[in-house]
Amino acid sequence: MKIKKNLLFICLFALILLFTATSSARVTPTYAIVNCKIIPVTGSPIEKGIIIIRDGLIESLGPQGKISIPEDAEIIKAEGLFAYPGLIDAHTNLFLELPKQEPRTPGTRRTSTAGPRQKEKAQHPDLMAVKLLKSKKTDVAGLHRVGITTVLVVPERGIYAGQSVLLNVNGVKAEPMVIKTPVALHVNFTTASGTYPSSLMGTMAFLRQSFLDTEHYSSHKSQFSKSSRGLKRPEYNPFLEALAPYVVEKSPVFFNCANLEDIKRALGLIKEFKLNGFLTGANEAWRVADLLIKNAKVPLLVSLNFKPPKTSIYVHQGEELKKKAEEEIYPANAANLHKKKLTFALTSQGLKKPSDIPKNVQKAVKAGLPKEEALKAMTIIPAKFLGVSSFLGSLEPGKIANIILTSGEIFDEKTRVERVFVDGIAFEIKKPPKGEKPTKVNIAGKWSATVSSPMGELETILEIEQDGNEISGSISSNMGKWEIREGILSGNELALSISATIMGETMDLAFSGTAEKDSIEGTIAVQEWSMELKAKRIPDGEF
Amino acid sequence: MKRNTIGFILVVSLVIFSSFSFGQDLLIKNGTILTVTKGKILKGDILIIKGIIKQIGENIKGPKGIKIIDASGKFVIPGIIDSHSHIALTGTNESAEAITAEVKMRDVLNAEDRSIYTAISGGVTMVHTMHGSGNPIGGENIVIKTKWGMTSEEMIVHDAYRTLKFALGENPKRSNSPTLGTPRYPQSRMGVNAIIRREFLKAKNYMEQWDRYLKAKNSKKPVKNLIAPRKDLRMEQLADVLRGKMVARCHAYRADETLEFIKLSKEFGFKIACFEHASEAFKIARELAEEKIGISVFLDSWAYKVEASEGIAYSAGYCTKKGVLVSINSDSGERIRRLFNDAAKAMKYGGLSEEEALNLVTINPAIQLGVEKIAGSLDVGKHGDVAIFNEHPLSAYTLCEKTIIEGEVYFDRAQYLKEREEMEKKKRGEEKKKEKKGGTK
Amino acid sequence: MTKRIFIFAVILIICASFCLTQEKSPSVIAIKGVSIIPVVGEDITEGTILIKDGLIEAVGKNIDIPAGAKIIDAEGLFAYPGMIDGSCYLGLQEISSISATVDYRETGRINPQAKTVEALRPDSMHIPISRSNGITAALVAPSDGLISGQSGLIRLVGWTPEEMTIKSPIAMHIQFPSLPRLRSRRETKPPEVASKQVKELKEILKQARYYQKRKDAAKKNLGLHLPEFDEKLEFLLPVVNGELPVMISVHADKDIKAAIKFVKDEKLKAIFLGVTDGWKVAEDIKKSGIPVIFGSLNSVPPKWEDGYDAFYRNPAVLAKAGVKFAFSSGSASLAKDLPYHASKAAAFGLDKKEALKGVTIYPAQIFGVDKMMGSLEKGKVANIVLADGDILELRTNIKHVFIDGKEVDTSSIYTELLEKFKKR
Repeated sequence: MKIKKNLLFICLFALILLFTATSSARVTPTYAIVNCKIIPVTGSPIEKGIIIIRDGLIESLGPQGKISIPEDAEIIKAEGLFAYPGLIDAHTNLFLELPKQEPRTPGTRRTSTAGPRQKEKAQHPDLMAVKLLKSKKTDVAGLHRVGITTVLVVPERGIYAGQSVLLNVNGVKAEPMVIKTPVALHVNFTTASGTYPSSLMGTMAFLRQSFLDTEHYSSHKSQFSKSSRGLKRPEYNPFLEALAPYVVEKSPVFFNCANLEDIKRALGLIKEFKLNGFLTGANEAWRVADLLIKNAKVPLLVSLNFKPPKTSIYVHQGEELKKKAEEEIYPANAANLHKKKLTFALTSQGLKKPSDIPKNVQKAVKAGLPKEEALKAMTIIPAKFLGVSSFLGSLEPGKIANIILTSGEIFDEKTRVERVFVDGIAFEIKKPPKGEKPTKVNIAGKWSATVSSPMGELETILEIEQDGNEISGSISSNMGKWEIREGILSGNELALSISATIMGETMDLAFSGTAEKDSIEGTIAVQEWSMELKAKRIPDGEF
Repeated sequence: MKRNTIGFILVVSLVIFSSFSFGQDLLIKNGTILTVTKGKILKGDILIIKGIIKQIGENIKGPKGIKIIDASGKFVIPGIIDSHSHIALTGTNESAEAITAEVKMRDVLNAEDRSIYTAISGGVTMVHTMHGSGNPIGGENIVIKTKWGMTSEEMIVHDAYRTLKFALGENPKRSNSPTLGTPRYPQSRMGVNAIIRREFLKAKNYMEQWDRYLKAKNSKKPVKNLIAPRKDLRMEQLADVLRGKMVARCHAYRADETLEFIKLSKEFGFKIACFEHASEAFKIARELAEEKIGISVFLDSWAYKVEASEGIAYSAGYCTKKGVLVSINSDSGERIRRLFNDAAKAMKYGGLSEEEALNLVTINPAIQLGVEKIAGSLDVGKHGDVAIFNEHPLSAYTLCEKTIIEGEVYFDRAQYLKEREEMEKKKRGEEKKKEKKGGTK
Repeated sequence: MTKRIFIFAVILIICASFCLTQEKSPSVIAIKGVSIIPVVGEDITEGTILIKDGLIEAVGKNIDIPAGAKIIDAEGLFAYPGMIDGSCYLGLQEISSISATVDYRETGRINPQAKTVEALRPDSMHIPISRSNGITAALVAPSDGLISGQSGLIRLVGWTPEEMTIKSPIAMHIQFPSLPRLRSRRETKPPEVASKQVKELKEILKQARYYQKRKDAAKKNLGLHLPEFDEKLEFLLPVVNGELPVMISVHADKDIKAAIKFVKDEKLKAIFLGVTDGWKVAEDIKKSGIPVIFGSLNSVPPKWEDGYDAFYRNPAVLAKAGVKFAFSSGSASLAKDLPYHASKAAAFGLDKKEALKGVTIYPAQIFGVDKMMGSLEKGKVANIVLADGDILELRTNIKHVFIDGKEVDTSSIYTELLEKFKKR
């Protein structure tokens, strides 16, 4: 009976999949966005303009009247809207499914019989983000909602964390998103646990030694390839192979700088080994502004995470100063850099979710960063840094049609992203539930729910977490465990967005209904189908 | 408190944004000056121009507008030097391996460490901050000035000896830490000695490889298919010790292991600048004096582990009398602020004179660190590093009132007290407001 | 034959009396020409102290010295009462990292039955060092857990624990919940955790009271069951019966207030130990009437906002507020530094005379032995220190130390090892 039920459900979902247009179609429609204010970033704003999108590119743009609308164009009325280049976030950890961390064997903490191989196991410069991509519809939606159309996916763990990939957030399948891979090698000033280097001083020595070893290895290899007679052949070393393009051929190396001393450490290494180095993280960059001015050639990417690093003096001189640091001093980082005429990109490194990005940009603007600079720092500047400014980062004819239409000036508090184009593909932005009512109902806990459809019933267990109005958690059934990606409880009205994976495909299910202390009722909608959900709370103590 | 922090931020930004001016101008007047090298001046002045002492004497008239500190009734001594510490560092020890000569304290300086402030509150102006003692061969240490509020690079003292940390005894052989899994070699004093010898033999071999390569490369008959040896940072450091470019600072407690290390240094021809802690130095005072190797010790911190169980308080004084160069260190972010108290104890335990006792924390550590040309005493031509005390620095009732580095006041107790008072006033004001509003929380 | 025996017997008797007179310590010792700082009363220059049968017979100027007295010419020296360490681990620890030599900590959280004087090592190498710096008595205290055990007051001389013990128990030691660790930057535990532990304390005291009641009832009525013996409750009875004070280790200001309330609610006699945040709640402590023993002043205050000298100026603030206080070394290997905590407090605002009292008469009063010691007054035990200067000063040399009227050996492992290697 159970098997039959499941089969029915699988059939239902399979049908839905067939009709869901989540993958990018081969042929994209031609669009004409009319009557909007255009902010190209690399040119003056156009008060009332038209943008023509064809074959994924901006065919033309200009003031109303000067641009003719092609016959095959679908007209998008954009009165009152603002058109900006899609924002580029040069650091995200979304879309990445990392291999599970090896559990630390008990007893290896204070010891080391570290031979060269064990050393390298802890570092993985050969980890390619492009091979570990996993896209989630909810991630895509979250990014679009804040106007981000291009992301640099960065592996974050380890000293040599791996190599990043640049994606255009154009859908749910991974491969069509890839713009460039690898983009850079990413280095963190962290330590290996249980093995060398287990301290920051060790990491510095380790980095230097690995750069020296790479140079030595490469020169041996090149010498061998020129004249192998009489020369011992170089031993293959995967670690050094992975580093060679960066140390010898000078591909970009990003140094993650958690504090101002890391910035100095990074600049020191970049100078010593003549690397093509980039500084990232750097949320206290303003404190070493003079040093950065001297090293202006090194691209600077600054995080919108305003949490002061643990080493910061602002954190150790009383609660008052600590609070001030988080709320006033660190948010002013970008503004201070701008005052010093330094160029930088803004990234979301360290932020928990995409919706924090506009919030923090607003804070940075409030602290004195001109809005235009903030815009540049998330469009043309990161495009230049990442070497893609010939086709991304601004609204110019011939560039890729990554465009966002906003209800107001970008980064304003009330502004919402209405529409997003990535690679010329149009995306609608779902509106967040309006008018949140404070809720007194607490639905946190375990629930047993029945999902019924014309094809049968599915028993599920809901595990709900509640933080004020925000709901999260999971739905488990014998079809798997699905995450409640987003949820709002407004009064008694409950709206959930569930990320369901069926047969390897991920799709969004939307639930809307009402919730009481012990019962939840509502409907789950997928495309045109809807299913009823009735849930009863499982009392504490019962399974 | 807000004013304090705003003030601090202002000072920091002013300092950072101002040009790299070496030091400040300052005139200290009317103090009892203990010069350390040239005796005592009962009512004397010190003139510092651009951070350097230009004049010491009586009734000095400085240039117009110079900042003046009236030290009437106060005692003026050279800034105290702590020759063994671990402050201002992110991390202390690279414990994953027993030999880590390649790591450098220079890479992990942390100018925001509160302990720097603790140091200046106790009159300390210079610190030799070091790798830990968990490894038979640790990393390269560094000497810094405690310029609280400045950047880490501005604190570095470039004129000091380059020093490499060595450690013998219980700490590197891990007697006092729990061992999980396979213990790290070495676990005995035999192994500690052997591993140090092994590394120096490796270093000699490494140096020879490079010598042969360079010879072959530069020879008239070029050798075919010559590749350079791999540059090994660990070996380079040890090679520098063998070449005399770096000196050894060796943590040792027992008399026997100290003597064995001296033998090792002779076996390989390297220089030992100083033994750290040297609890049992009094047992081998003769040898230390003959070999001209100094010690940097605690006055009376002892009996915390077996090898420290014969660390008598008389050791520092006795060794001094026997001609050993002795300094007193803190090895602690707390003891650093009362090094002058420890020096005073050497008068009681060891019968040292006032001058001999004060040397232990001024000129002696300066000589050991190779900075006696710029610090350790109040002499014309040296840096204007000064500490001002309200009572004689060797009295138990004294406290440090001002700490000055290169003519700049970095610690000022009067200023601190003023700020505290303002903070208290503000707090009381706020509490009254809360009460008025209706009930304190 | 009998004549020989007679002569032999006489010779024997003469020898015996000779020996006897040699073994007997002088019944009267006179310290002459000394500057006397009695602590209670005015200082005396060119004074004399007479010691008889272990007690101070007389203190003053122009005192008649009886014939046969042993005279100690103390010209140029200063006489002080022997100092009293408010809390230390003398005799309970040799080498701190070797647990085999550490006996002031038990396992488990409730150990009222543990008595420090029963674990004393009279031969500890640290005792002569402390003694030779003028410390003549000390409270040896337990630590760790919630209820650590009972402390006792010892004299720093004696061959056996019994010979050393002056008075035991002095107090039941409690580590008040949510004690911040001064060396780490961790703040106090969240309030729920702390109050849970205070509840635990109150509960066990409640049980002890009930236990006493049951015992009393059973005594009167043979028919009633005798309560089952409970070690923990049994040893807490003197506390709940008001006979034995509690010494509470407490530091943070919120905890001090909670401890004051706890003592009041439970109607206990109390002494506070540590009290590093005491300056923040000086008035409350004064009102409570609870005396305070300061721990070692040598830690860096964890909160920057409290100021770098918070622990140093703490005693001055509390003394000014009228709180009764004493100093302690809190150590075994550094017990000799007791006077320097007092002088450090004096450097940061404490009146010098008060500082001296903090290591002499005040601890004697707090421990209830002030009739016996703590000052140079007639009738008290002759615990006297002769020094060439202020005993709170770092460079002062202690020349003679008397405990119970007998001059004690001021040699120690320090002097022995020095002498041994001087010969090299």
